Amino acid sequence: MLRSITGMNNGLSFMKQMLLSANVRCFSVAAVNRVKEIIVTKDNKKTIIEGILKPSDRVNLLLDPPADTNHEACSICRLDVDIKHTDVLILSQFMRSDGGMLPRRVTGLCRTQQKRMSKLVTMALKAGLMPNLAPANSKRDPARRDKFKKNHRYFDESTIRPPFRMKYPEDRSLH
Amino acid sequence: MRNIFERVKQWNTLTRIWHLYDAKWQDPFDSAKVIQKYLKGLHKPIYHPLADCGDHVVVINCKEIAMRGDEWRKRAYFHHTGYAGGGTYTLAWELHDKNPLMIMKKAVYRSMKGNLQRRYTMERLHLYAEENVPQDIIENISSVIPQLRDVPMRLDRMPEDQVKGYPKIWDLPKDYVVR
Repeated sequence: MLRSITGMNNGLSFMKQMLLSANVRCFSVAAVNRVKEIIVTKDNKKTIIEGILKPSDRVNLLLDPPADTNHEACSICRLDVDIKHTDVLILSQFMRSDGGMLPRRVTGLCRTQQKRMSKLVTMALKAGLMPNLAPANSKRDPARRDKFKKNHRYFDESTIRPPFRMKYPEDRSLH
Repeated sequence: MRNIFERVKQWNTLTRIWHLYDAKWQDPFDSAKVIQKYLKGLHKPIYHPLADCGDHVVVINCKEIAMRGDEWRKRAYFHHTGYAGGGTYTLAWELHDKNPLMIMKKAVYRSMKGNLQRRYTMERLHLYAEENVPQDIIENISSVIPQLRDVPMRLDRMPEDQVKGYPKIWDLPKDYVVR
């Protein structure tokens, strides 16, 4: 909101800022993201499908970005932490309830991190660490899987190709 | 003898100590490298190949060992009966189905050099598929070998308030349809 108000004085700078802020994801306390939930109720001879807008349950739990944050970096590059495939509490944030990975247009990650996260999610699912996030026909219990899949497996994150471990370059102007 | 700790140190060196190792979610081949040191007594200052100073190691939860990546179906165990055409290759997961102790036993056996002492050293290794160990073995245990890898937590076994209350690093976009 601050951007648009200051930009109103000069039409050119307003346009410039609009163009610049196209890829910027806004983190602010005032804006409330709403998500849509579709509820299907079936009566006799009547089916009601309604979409309800409700505030996202993540609003109060969002991490504050660090003070020297680069707003062009995605939410994981900004954090600058080494995420392992056993960090299911982080990985489950990028997943649907049926165990699928959310697409990049929803997660807002950069290409590198989206690829890395999807590989880590695959590792965690193969290791059976998130059996509750699975399609409806899933057996849920990893011990009931077939053949070699039923035994415990772990993965080495260094087998993910090196560009995905690349860190966001430091800001030289601060030093 | 300076103090009580020095005295205990000497007892620990000159007697056979029984160590406990929990193999849950541990790599058997990495674990074997650690276990064989205790079996041979390499961790003791008086170690010498001819000094019979090795300890006992009790390994529990051998059924719950973990292997890296595809190793359960890539690793094959070869056995030959001695007759013509008697060779068989058994995959690691097939062997583990038949005998949950065998992979751990072979891993420790192979981690040691093949000499005359190896069979006697293996006698000091006690393997159990699960947590229930006979009472006369439990009584001896006085030391625990730390695990090499953390046992991972499963998402469905975490308390629900912990999962819901965990900090979120991004928010769902506007008009996202919850599924």
